[in-house]
Amino acid sequence: MMDMRKIICKSHRRLSEPRGVSPRSKSFGARLAALLVVMLAVTMLMVPLAKAAEVAMEKPAGEDKAVATLAGEVRDMGWVAFAARSEKGDWDLFVMRPDGSALRNITNTPDANEAYPLFSPNGKRLLYRQLKRDEMIDGNNYGAQGRLMFAKSDGTDPQPFGQPGEYPWASWSPDGQRIACLDIKGISFVDLETKKVAGKQPREGFFQQMTWSPDGKTLSGVSNGFGTAWSVAAMDIASGKPRAISSQDCCTPDWFPDGRHLIFSKRPGQWTQLWMADPQGRNPRLLYAEDGRHIYGGRVSPDGKYALFTGNINEDGDPGNSGAPMALMRLTDAPLIGGDGEALRKQHPQAKAGPVLTLPIGWEPCWTASETPGGETAKDDATKHDAANDQAAKETDVP
Amino acid sequence: MTSFHASMVKMRSLLTTIIALTGVILLCLALQGCGAPRDGADEHVTKLGSIEVTARLVEVPAEAIAKRDVYVYTGILKYEVLTIHRGQVPGKFIYVGHYNPPVPRYAAADQRVKEIGGDVASFQVGDAHRLALEVPLEEHYMGPIINPYFGQDTGPLYWSLWCNEVDQ
Repeated sequence: MMDMRKIICKSHRRLSEPRGVSPRSKSFGARLAALLVVMLAVTMLMVPLAKAAEVAMEKPAGEDKAVATLAGEVRDMGWVAFAARSEKGDWDLFVMRPDGSALRNITNTPDANEAYPLFSPNGKRLLYRQLKRDEMIDGNNYGAQGRLMFAKSDGTDPQPFGQPGEYPWASWSPDGQRIACLDIKGISFVDLETKKVAGKQPREGFFQQMTWSPDGKTLSGVSNGFGTAWSVAAMDIASGKPRAISSQDCCTPDWFPDGRHLIFSKRPGQWTQLWMADPQGRNPRLLYAEDGRHIYGGRVSPDGKYALFTGNINEDGDPGNSGAPMALMRLTDAPLIGGDGEALRKQHPQAKAGPVLTLPIGWEPCWTASETPGGETAKDDATKHDAANDQAAKETDVP
Repeated sequence: MTSFHASMVKMRSLLTTIIALTGVILLCLALQGCGAPRDGADEHVTKLGSIEVTARLVEVPAEAIAKRDVYVYTGILKYEVLTIHRGQVPGKFIYVGHYNPPVPRYAAADQRVKEIGGDVASFQVGDAHRLALEVPLEEHYMGPIINPYFGQDTGPLYWSLWCNEVDQ
């Protein structure tokens, strides 16, 4: 995202510089004339360049036809929100179309960092954490850092909710009326309108990245309760009993929209990979692996057919730098091996070939079918999409 | 007479210096407890937490103290309790969680876990430690835990706040 803009800006600078004009050998008039000629030439060049740049920003990333086809498939499937470093150096929240186009900074807070955006189930609202500018985002603690914020999903009307440190690891209930929070004292369910705690239960080893299942009956999270440091686990809210879904250094679990599977990251060796399994931990399947990148932040599209993820070369989300590009793939193409991947292909001979769409640099993306995040430009579509989402939310049982 | 007086003054001065130096050396030795076996007691271990024990490390599983890239975790180690100084500890063995175990205790604290420390540089089987503890661990720490004893009957896990070397 930023790279594209930076490239365009650099092109402007280069083209603006008059070259081959020696001030010693030319008179002032000649130099002025040369400068005017160059400026005219630059102006003439700029018009098509600017148009090309616009097209480049809107066009699906990548030149490969299969990638372009993939980009075309997802382009109008709502919006993706994520955290990324802005041109001012802070971390802001951005939205984009799932193909990477229509990128927009929706927080624009140079004096603060924002992280961990989560769309409400109907896509109209967004919750996230806002940190002080000098506080580095902690890859294992970002859901508890700073203060919880709510905003409309296009970033407007941001409002703090509670004090700094409160409501850690907040996750939406299926009806968007409550949040589940996780702290050292346990799991609490908070009513958003009254801010009252509607229920509490022991955390049973859960310690980060907790998400509420689409049917409202189960929580997923990262647990220390199964011997290894990071296990992905599920907990039925009614019984309070946790079960391991995968216990080999796993994290960033999230639910498929139908609640029948979870997507998560797992680290069987040096590099972290993207996997899926059912809520009992059965039928684990590799989705994407690439030696040389840690694959985190897996999120499934609202229709359950695509997966978004981040691919960091450096561990821990690389918050001290700028992170790495996100990517998108079809789930029917899984398992996919990125890069050369010779060793990985031997381990996973069933690996398929399929396109992977490279997306802007970002971290912990979330995806909604709603058109609301697009703001005014998508207002008409928003009404139609959101009405359908509201109906779906009403039909969902909440415990 | 003058020469004798001068010699006396020099001798007195020398004697005073020797006595002063001896005093300083003795004071240093006393402060450092040099020569006496260390019992690990200090102002931290005797005050922090609700439990204080001297215990011997029974085993040190490699996975419980392994260096893990940028990720910091708590490793569970098994101790045999030798002396209970404060609080109550049922049973002979306890399972203690040390935060950031690959590094010395005096360097283990960070932004997430601030109030821990001690003078133990590394964990070695057979070493005795004076420990300030809390129990259960999950009420004092929320983060990754590598527990080689998972699935065994360990009883509640203890949380190590301070950990000093003890001479045996």
